[in-house]
Amino acid sequence: MARPLWSGSLSFGLVNVPVALYSAIRDRDVHFNQLHGPDGSPVETRRVCAHEQREVPWEEIAKGYELEDGRWVLLSDGDLDSAAPRKSHTIDIESFVEQREIDPLYLDRPYMLVPENESAARAYALLGQAMDSSGKVALGRFVMRAKEHLVSIRPRGDLLMLTTMRFQDEVRSSAEVAQELSAAAAPSAEEVENAIAIITELEVPFDPTSYRDEHRAHLEAIIKRKRKGQKISAPKAQPAKPTPTAPDLMGALQESLARIRGEAAGKAGTATKKKGKKSRTSTSAKPRSDSSASRS
Amino acid sequence: MPRSLWNGTVAFGLVRVPVKLYSATESKRIPLRERHVSDGAAIEHRRLCVKEGREVPYSELVKGYEVSAGSYVVLTKEEIAVADGPEAHVVEIEHFVSREEIDPAYYERAYYLGPGKLGEEPYRLLQAALRRSDRVGIGRFVFHNKAHLVAVRALEEVIALHTMRFADELVAEEELEIVKADKKPSKLETDTAQLLVDQLNADFEPESYENSYRDAVLEMIERKARGEAIEAPETRQTTPEGDLLSALEASLDNGGRRRSAARRDSPRPKKSGTLKRVRTRGDD
Repeated sequence: MARPLWSGSLSFGLVNVPVALYSAIRDRDVHFNQLHGPDGSPVETRRVCAHEQREVPWEEIAKGYELEDGRWVLLSDGDLDSAAPRKSHTIDIESFVEQREIDPLYLDRPYMLVPENESAARAYALLGQAMDSSGKVALGRFVMRAKEHLVSIRPRGDLLMLTTMRFQDEVRSSAEVAQELSAAAAPSAEEVENAIAIITELEVPFDPTSYRDEHRAHLEAIIKRKRKGQKISAPKAQPAKPTPTAPDLMGALQESLARIRGEAAGKAGTATKKKGKKSRTSTSAKPRSDSSASRS
Repeated sequence: MPRSLWNGTVAFGLVRVPVKLYSATESKRIPLRERHVSDGAAIEHRRLCVKEGREVPYSELVKGYEVSAGSYVVLTKEEIAVADGPEAHVVEIEHFVSREEIDPAYYERAYYLGPGKLGEEPYRLLQAALRRSDRVGIGRFVFHNKAHLVAVRALEEVIALHTMRFADELVAEEELEIVKADKKPSKLETDTAQLLVDQLNADFEPESYENSYRDAVLEMIERKARGEAIEAPETRQTTPEGDLLSALEASLDNGGRRRSAARRDSPRPKKSGTLKRVRTRGDD
């Protein structure tokens, strides 16, 4: 098992649960190395002291903060810990909220919390159960890598998932973007009805495994071809699609709807008639087979 | 108006919405730089050619993919971009889902979409339809030579776009070894824990969470700048093992809060001349 990124305690009331934190994501990107063009040799990054002009080992490097007068204050990891000793070692649960209330704009990175020992596991399971039965998620704060994080913690199976979140001042206002729209005419009720009808036709249960990263596969194929000495060229320019200039919105909506319904009917064998407006429960309760028929 | 990061199209059926992409977030990290401990000088990062041992200018760098140890396939920018395909600038909405079905672990980065050239009307239509139907559009696009699954959803007035992780980028639960509890929590423990959750029930009010650590670090820097010694951090305290129930009950008596401990941890910074403002990186 990989090394934990952080370990400390999860504090819930007066209960402290020793836990370790692991990343819940893995890097699947195709990575390139920097090479020196003329000789194809790998390039390494060296850390050099600007004053002494010599390479410096990692132990001789500290974090520096520049004061307004241009002086630098050097900080050790201990200094940074001392700024908030409790927060650096404890995730304090402060409240419990509905997941629905947390706007996804606040979500940052997912992690998994794991209990450090058997007795921790009992309190850990207890917290998970209590959240599960109340349908709530925990909110707390802690410090990791010299940054304080607002976090939400929720149960997933037997596990507690932790998601770091952005503080409010890290989420920008959308007001400036909204201003760009002030001159535009509002869509007509009929247009909105038709757009909602399209949404309803294309609604499926969220199945993340059905979306594959094809770009990654394309890139790997290109690398393979290049390795064999084949020429890599850009695809021919596609004939231009109908431009969005002066769009006949209503026409586009109706045509889309006709095509989607035609496809869905063709694939499912039966033309299931759906209404533009459906309650959330009825649409999300739609059986999977039905939805996959209307897919793609 | 901030600069847009990307211009493209959101396609939704045959309706094409010209859009611009803006970052919805900014980092407020305290800007710390690498410095040399002995003389406080800046640390420069230099790229050295391993074979020649000399510094390599940026213009001589190429990208290589390591196919086997020490053996690389070199690709130009243009060759890498071929993988993007011709539709790279289009976010094609493939499906619509309910927000509740999306595991929060999938959300990656958050952006706002603004209308592109002549895009105001279809933009407002898509925003209104997403908002009224309370659904999230799922599609894909290529950004910075990487494909992203995206979620497109309506906010009050604008549309937000979230890049999402692909399913194979998430670590499965089974990949972790989880210590099993020595014994199951008792009924009484479960009930008491439930009471504690209820007692701490709240609404999510993001404005009520300040990043007090940032202030605490800046205050510590200020003290250090004045030459004061920095106290060593207190050692980590662990729970007295075993007596879970009494800890739970004591928490309830306590109103569930450890606010006093949390507060003591992060003193408000005193006003002082050295640091006039919080300097943060990423205010671009």
